[in-house]
Amino acid sequence: MIADEATLARLMAMAQSGDRQAYAALLEACQRWLRRYYARRIGPCQLDDLVQDTMLSLHHKRASYDPQRPFLPWLAAIARYRWVDHLRKVYKADETELDESFAGASDEPAISARISLERLLSLLPSAQVAAIEMVKIEGLSVSEAAKASGQSESLIKVNIHRGLKRLTAIIEKA
Amino acid sequence: MPMPTSTDTFIDNLVSELEPVRPLSQAGGLSRAAMAILAATVIAAFGIGLRPDLLAGKLDPVFLLSSGLFLLLTCAASFSVIQMSRPQVGNHQTGWLWATAMAALLPASALLTALVSLAKGNTMVVGLSGWNCMAMGAALGLILAVMLTAWLRRGAPTSPQRAGLLIGIASGSAGIFAFSLHCTHNDIGHIGLWHGLAVAVNAGLGRLVIPSAIKW
Repeated sequence: MIADEATLARLMAMAQSGDRQAYAALLEACQRWLRRYYARRIGPCQLDDLVQDTMLSLHHKRASYDPQRPFLPWLAAIARYRWVDHLRKVYKADETELDESFAGASDEPAISARISLERLLSLLPSAQVAAIEMVKIEGLSVSEAAKASGQSESLIKVNIHRGLKRLTAIIEKA
Repeated sequence: MPMPTSTDTFIDNLVSELEPVRPLSQAGGLSRAAMAILAATVIAAFGIGLRPDLLAGKLDPVFLLSSGLFLLLTCAASFSVIQMSRPQVGNHQTGWLWATAMAALLPASALLTALVSLAKGNTMVVGLSGWNCMAMGAALGLILAVMLTAWLRRGAPTSPQRAGLLIGIASGSAGIFAFSLHCTHNDIGHIGLWHGLAVAVNAGLGRLVIPSAIKW
């Protein structure tokens, strides 16, 4: 069960005041939420690292949360930033099969849809999305992605570069 | 901190490190920005000296208009920077764009005036002495640049490049606003070119230098 928005916001406000019990509960809930959030948008072998990386950012940047505002859009902005940063890092995933089990229905579908990674990707041209998905998420090589998509290798590289640059600029855009 | 493999251990480590923090507030950021702008203004007014017509109580309309536009641009860009310290999906910062467009009317007017003058066969005279205004405006703006950069380092800007650009715009316009209290020029050519360049120079430097300082 993922905690609701109001509960998370209250736990975060308490954590900002130094309440360790609330913070532990918050981090546990965030860890579950982030696993679902990144589902299908990162290779399974990368998921733990990315979730922990995002929670570390949450920890260091917790002062940037305004208790008067909703919590999940703040967490989503942190998560999107870490995700784009993660995609920038060159890696070749050992596993390319994506785990579908995390893609469960959300408790708050309206909020989740608005702050989802899918919505962020929907703001990119389809060729850029395809290039990023194949090379940065599924772990294909540039030449494999070129063959699969019909784009040239240089176009794949350009689309990845432009797509990641655009993603960085629109992280907070719903 | 080393990254533990177990999520439970990882969470325990974070919890054990927890210290109370004061949330970044809009009012806190704005008051610091206001103090930085005030500091630059005081240095220009009392350290460098007020322009004689101001001391005599005379206000030139071009001076008022251009200074007002630069101050407005300072406020809009600073506000956006402070907003960027507290990220949230759904944030839209467009006020600085409109303010920049309004301030861009100054160099645009200067260019148009020069072109019309050339078309009439007049020779165009660009006073090179204005570099002093540009340099002093850019330098005075450093006070606000340092303050906003320090503020963003505490926050979580998700677009460091844009944040750097905005800090540059805010600092350049703040600096040239302060220095315009000293500068005796009232012609649109001088203000549009040299005062506008102070903003452009700081914007470029901010875009290049600041992102690495605020990246997280």
